[in-house]
Amino acid sequence: MASPSKPRQRIKVASASTAGNYDQDEDDHVHAIYQNPNSRSAFERVLDTPQASAAMVGVLTAIAFALRFYKINQPDQVVFDEVHFGKFASFYITREYYFDVHPPFAKLLFGLAGWFVGFDGHFTFQEIGDNYTDNHVPYVGMRALPAILGSLTIPVVYAIMKETGYSTIIAAFSACIILFDNAHIAQSRLILLDATLIFFMSLTIYSYVRFRKLRYWEFTVEWWSWLIATGFFMACTWGAKVNGILTVATIGIAVLVDLWDILDHKKGFTMEHFWKHFMARAVGLIVVPFIIYLSFFYVHFAVLTRSGTGDTFMSPAFQETLIGNELLMNSQELRYYDVVTMKHKDTKVYLHSHPDHYPLQYDDGRISSQGQQVTGYGHDDINNHWQIIPTKALPEAGRGRVVHHEDVIQLLHVNTQTLLLTHDVASPLMPTNQEFTTWPKDDHSRHNDTLFYLNIIDADSEDPWKSKSSHFRLVHGPTRVSMWTHSKQLPEWAFKQQEINGNKNPTEKSATWFVDQVISTESSEGLSSEQVPKEPKKISFFKKFAELQLLMLQHNAGLTSSHPYASGPINWPFLISGISFWTENDAQKQIYLIGNIVGWWTCVIALSIYVGIMGADLLARRRGIEPIPEAARGRLWNSAGFFLLIWAIHYLPFFLMSRQLFIHHYLPSHLASALLAGSVLSFVLSDTVNYPISIVGRWTKLRKSEYADLGMKGPVVVGIFTFILFSMFLYMTPLTYGTPGLDGETINAKRLLSSWTLHFAAKEIAEVS
Amino acid sequence: MAANVRVRRPATPPPGLPHIVPSSHNYPPIRQDHLSADERREAASKGYGPGRRSHSPGGLNITSGEWKLLAVVLLIAIGVRMFRISKPDSVVFDEVHFGKFAARYIKTRYFVDVHPPLAKLLITAAAFISGFNGDFDFKEIGKVFENAPYVAMRMVPATFGVATVPIAYLTLRALDCRATTALLASIFLTFENGLVTQSRHILLDSPLVFFTALTVFFFVGFSNEDKKEPFTEQWWTWLILTGLSLGAVVSCKWVGLFTIATVGVCTILQLWLLLGDLRVSPRMWARHFFARAVCLILIPILFYMTMFQLHFLILGSSGEGDAFMSSEFRQTLGHGMEDTYADVALGSDITIRHLNTQGGYLHSHAHNYPGGSSQQQITLYPHRDDNNLWRVVNATVDGYEQYDYEHKPIVYIDHGSRIKLRHIVTDKALHSHEVRPPVSDVDFQNEVSAYGMTGFVGDINDDWVVEIEKGDSSNKESSKRLRTLRTHFKLRHLNTGCYLFSHKVKLPEWGFEQQEVTCNKNAVKANSLWYVETAAKHPQLPTNAPKINYKIPGFLSKFWELQGVMWTTNAGLTDRHMYDSRPLTWPRLRRGINFWVKDHRQIYLIGNPFVWWSSTASVITYMIVRGFLLLRAKRGYRDFDNTKVVKYDSLCGFLFVGYCMHYFPFFLMGRQLFLHHYFPALYFAILLNCAVFDLATSTLRPKIRLQIAAVLMMIAVITYSKFSSLTYGDPWTKQKCTNAQWVKTWDFACNEFLDEYSQYSGVTVPTLNRTTPMATIGGEPGGRAAIVVEDKLGQDVVAPPEDEQSTAVPIGAPEPGRDVFAKDKQKEIKSQMIALQDVPVINENQKEISVVTFEPTSAAPVVAGGKVEVKVQEDHVSATGEPEDRASPEVIGILEKEIEAELGEDVDAHRKPHGPLDHEEAIADQVAHELYPEARDAE
Repeated sequence: MASPSKPRQRIKVASASTAGNYDQDEDDHVHAIYQNPNSRSAFERVLDTPQASAAMVGVLTAIAFALRFYKINQPDQVVFDEVHFGKFASFYITREYYFDVHPPFAKLLFGLAGWFVGFDGHFTFQEIGDNYTDNHVPYVGMRALPAILGSLTIPVVYAIMKETGYSTIIAAFSACIILFDNAHIAQSRLILLDATLIFFMSLTIYSYVRFRKLRYWEFTVEWWSWLIATGFFMACTWGAKVNGILTVATIGIAVLVDLWDILDHKKGFTMEHFWKHFMARAVGLIVVPFIIYLSFFYVHFAVLTRSGTGDTFMSPAFQETLIGNELLMNSQELRYYDVVTMKHKDTKVYLHSHPDHYPLQYDDGRISSQGQQVTGYGHDDINNHWQIIPTKALPEAGRGRVVHHEDVIQLLHVNTQTLLLTHDVASPLMPTNQEFTTWPKDDHSRHNDTLFYLNIIDADSEDPWKSKSSHFRLVHGPTRVSMWTHSKQLPEWAFKQQEINGNKNPTEKSATWFVDQVISTESSEGLSSEQVPKEPKKISFFKKFAELQLLMLQHNAGLTSSHPYASGPINWPFLISGISFWTENDAQKQIYLIGNIVGWWTCVIALSIYVGIMGADLLARRRGIEPIPEAARGRLWNSAGFFLLIWAIHYLPFFLMSRQLFIHHYLPSHLASALLAGSVLSFVLSDTVNYPISIVGRWTKLRKSEYADLGMKGPVVVGIFTFILFSMFLYMTPLTYGTPGLDGETINAKRLLSSWTLHFAAKEIAEVS
Repeated sequence: MAANVRVRRPATPPPGLPHIVPSSHNYPPIRQDHLSADERREAASKGYGPGRRSHSPGGLNITSGEWKLLAVVLLIAIGVRMFRISKPDSVVFDEVHFGKFAARYIKTRYFVDVHPPLAKLLITAAAFISGFNGDFDFKEIGKVFENAPYVAMRMVPATFGVATVPIAYLTLRALDCRATTALLASIFLTFENGLVTQSRHILLDSPLVFFTALTVFFFVGFSNEDKKEPFTEQWWTWLILTGLSLGAVVSCKWVGLFTIATVGVCTILQLWLLLGDLRVSPRMWARHFFARAVCLILIPILFYMTMFQLHFLILGSSGEGDAFMSSEFRQTLGHGMEDTYADVALGSDITIRHLNTQGGYLHSHAHNYPGGSSQQQITLYPHRDDNNLWRVVNATVDGYEQYDYEHKPIVYIDHGSRIKLRHIVTDKALHSHEVRPPVSDVDFQNEVSAYGMTGFVGDINDDWVVEIEKGDSSNKESSKRLRTLRTHFKLRHLNTGCYLFSHKVKLPEWGFEQQEVTCNKNAVKANSLWYVETAAKHPQLPTNAPKINYKIPGFLSKFWELQGVMWTTNAGLTDRHMYDSRPLTWPRLRRGINFWVKDHRQIYLIGNPFVWWSSTASVITYMIVRGFLLLRAKRGYRDFDNTKVVKYDSLCGFLFVGYCMHYFPFFLMGRQLFLHHYFPALYFAILLNCAVFDLATSTLRPKIRLQIAAVLMMIAVITYSKFSSLTYGDPWTKQKCTNAQWVKTWDFACNEFLDEYSQYSGVTVPTLNRTTPMATIGGEPGGRAAIVVEDKLGQDVVAPPEDEQSTAVPIGAPEPGRDVFAKDKQKEIKSQMIALQDVPVINENQKEISVVTFEPTSAAPVVAGGKVEVKVQEDHVSATGEPEDRASPEVIGILEKEIEAELGEDVDAHRKPHGPLDHEEAIADQVAHELYPEARDAE
């Protein structure tokens, strides 16, 4: 739809030398009218001093540490997902390979913490409720790590608000919502990944805010450092938990908006300038984070060198890189005339045959060949034994007798002395697939139909066929179907065993088999020589990385089973239900993950107020009315808008996920909503903001500046709010710290919403006679 | 005159994307003479100078010459769509369902379907007028029609298909495209194989596409009027017509909601632009707003509901759809229940129904669980039967005196009453214990069985506590005590604290595929609610005691209930279908749908590749160009000062929004999707394609433009004819078929066709039903070649067919879309009362297991060091309250295993997480135990 008219109205952009005129659209006034900072109320002036700010952040941080470390040794039992993450930490110490859906950074930190405090990895975190003290586990050291990170989140939140240009009291308000939040505290006192995730997420936001503020000092050292810091922390967030990818998306969108602004011709930049910015961000926010993300996995693979619980998830090639792996130890080359058993990879059934025949006619009227049945059978049985028969001349001995990729073989069912065969007859259950049967060994009339190509997956032409480690497809010579099975059972006449049939797709992924056991070989020669302990093989890091990433994605999507405490995303902001982490029957103690209802509901109210204000502003401006002062509106749209973006990106995608979801998935969003609550409170209390807050560059046009002034009402409102927040926090502490134990009546009283499923509640229904 | 028609308006009707209003001080000045070459020339010839109309004409503006053209187009469309519409004379694809539904309407038998009724009603109307009596059952694809006016029925979608063609023409004209362009679009639509195939059979998509097109046309007309002058009579007419048409589109299929979304987005944009116009007073704006709200929201809703009202009016008698509806609903479908006594008291004989699922009555029969405790099964059974009868027995009194209700005063059942339920036919009690149920084998579920025998009053595990959840507001007493039908209650198992529970899980064959009943410690409330459906007369009640029946639901409650059923079923349509496809494959026409194969002929739904691919290409082109323009605008190029760009931007933008709204939502759907779901989007894509043509040829002379259009039409017609054999089910040759397989994934049944056309004349007996089953691969039910079978009948049937082609790509059988409702139908399994004499024998064995229980009179089981000590008590009948000593050693030997199996989980021996994947599952197990500590605290 190229316009025939020429691009004739291109505005002459300013040449690079005068790359200035910043923000000419924002302010036409040349006069910079400074507001005198001293005209503010006395309170504001005192609070705004660096000393007051430092004192404030010091106090907040101290309280944060106190609240998160209080009774951190309680309970001295394995709580909730410590079962997994503690175990993973111990695997790092014992260097056994494991598999998890989350990237390794946070778990590596736990491993490091464990190693640092002298944990030897012998304790396996088998079940919730296992005792640490009895097993001499230095669990306090491990729990200290998230507690420290969780505590440090508070000053970071404070700093974000402060850097964004809100007054001290507003920054403290946002920090307090996180500081006195039962959910954040409960989550960061245990060996769980979320504290790490949230800490690095807040650092990412902080760095990005700092980076944005430096936008008029582009390409300076400081600018670069904050850009790279954003990238670095972003990678750490992503590396801590898969959910961190949402932080990456947030920054990505913010950067796109930013770049879109730079592209605007009214700013007067050249395309060259734009590309420079583009490349800088590509390096800082794509290349750097990716390298760091890769490095986590590099360390992960470097540490985990031994065979462990995660082996079975990986491909044979991967497994053979692990010391002591079963495949590595037991895999052996197969030779002709070996008797073997074969298993289907997905359904784990043996290739089986027995003397019974297919019935002449099936229920749906189709007719079979009445040949001997070939089925899939789940148990070890002598009828699973098959002998590999060559179709070519073999040397007497030596390597020539080894079976290779793409050899044509026959399989002899040992017990009935018949050969495996498939032909153009529909299988019992699927009219579209071929029936598998067997044919007497001595009857050569169907010789061609008994020929199968051995198709080893990921193999080169000369690779030998190995037991265990070679996954293969068996492709029929004449009809090109591959031997396949599915979990449907045959009827009674085949003893409800699994159907085996020929799949028309010779490269069908689920038609993968492997040789499970070598029952006997023709001669014992050569076998003994293979029993020497084997060196693990090596494959390139990138191959390993790619494989693991793919598996993580698949399994993450596969976590769909139901869980009593799983909840839908719509419930989260309102705290409809929590998670029971741990209970102890004798003392009636329990840890129940639930947020501070005052803080959470405040955040929800703030969100709705924000949406309301913005909607009203939008409509009003459409009608030519400007109800909000320019500076305050800019702040609401840009900084609060950014917070809303963080909140939305960390929250809304969960609605599209079908995996099981928990309330702790909302914690990053909750942090963002606390930031937004600060902005909204600031706007509600006063029209003024600290403006401008970006660092003024050499060519930046001076703008009318002003200072935030909340006056008396700021400290009073925030003070009262914090008091209520703190009281609520105190009220709920027994559920957060798991101590002291509570009796039924108290628990009923603490059950603020009827949907919370607390334990040991007193009966509400009177017992019947 | 023609010149008038083609004159450009500055900003054209429908708002696509907001266009930038050229400001007054632009440099260089805006070109006013953007008229295309032919227009300038034509205008000049009439003596006009280059200029522009000051006013948009509004509505539709068409010359009389065009009406003649339109008539010709219409004739062509009729020729194409109705050509030999009576062939094939057997059922094709989803005619299986929609034909059947028409028969149901005529027989007034109730059915449920996932689609709203309008299109089906229209088809029914045609069938009814032609005298269809509803006897033909449309059972399977390929069944030959007998006594069914299928031609009349097929005429309905065909008519809609034909009508779509002129609508498309008029829409483009109303959108200010040239007549040539509009003609091109109508020819493209006429010769679109997919649309033709779909509109020649009894299917719903053709009406859907028609109403979508009609809505778009009305809306465009409305927008034109709106530009000219709002609130005129014409303005209201167009607006109301849009609303009615919206109602019609959503009453055909729910996909019509996308059309509503399209119109909605455009309306919001109109209002937004209006809001920005400061000359419009707020009052005026409110008028605009409410006029649209009433016409575009209220009218469609009313239309939609009217359709359902009709639906309910017609379907007055019970049919196969009953099973999906609530009991109240069924009361309106003929066979209602008789009035029943309202009061339930100890000693009443009652039937209990599950509230949330349509599983039916709490039921037991003389068959045992194959596993678990091997006691008698408890199920939900949907039909009325003696085995659904239970007697309410007082659990607080021991011994047989509890059965004596003849003389004792009547005792009603309140909240908290402790009762036993005796199954009257087998004389056993409803029982639960710490045994995992057969299907839902999870820790927090307990098995429910029937246990006991005549003369054995049962044990504490038979005791249930009635918890009244809510009564009916019109019946005050029903909230306080149990009353038939009005009271919803839960049954809590006294000993374990679990709730009697059922969910949509079928028992296997041994349970006759009836619904599973369990006792759930972590029960969802909705699934643990029950109510008493019938109560027999209690001996103490007078014969004139109050009787009660279901309340007859009003239209609204019926309407909402049906919407709910449709919604859940629609979402549940997730099975794979042989010809289903994902949305991503539609624009490139990866694969079609096999509708029908028979007598060496095939009907295969495939689009006209030329039309299809070129429309996809123009969508992509639009996106690229629009993106490019966006970037250029950002960099300061004033493309949007050109009125031509503005015109085509809003025109294409509108069509593109329509395309997106009808295509992208499918990506969010998990249900099975088919190629024909793309048709509404395809309609927009074809219009967009022609708009792009209009733009591309805007500077050419009309004659040349017409020539180019003619060539494009020729190509479309030729491509059409290449695939027309698949569209009409005409004879074809193998050779031609293979040649037509342009894309590897188009799986036509090429082997079905004969080698030569001449051979077809020999096939005179076309309707040979498949009676001789063939054991060949790809043998399709309903469509396997008749000749081949006959030729080989004498030979070995088992041998593979001679021709070497047989192992090529298998040809799937035509398969109708799934009818979930049909599949879900309950099997009519009569509950037999066999072998009652066996039961006591089995009982002897069971008793021991069942008696293993937490002894209620002794101290609670001690949880010490992770071990549970279980007192085994052998004889409950003579329970004196003293725990007896351990039973004989051999019993213990067996029992201990059982106990471990039963209670092991409680002693947390099974909490081992099974590898990292299960990690959240493992915790689930753990937590489930702790969820209801009442189990342990019961005493």
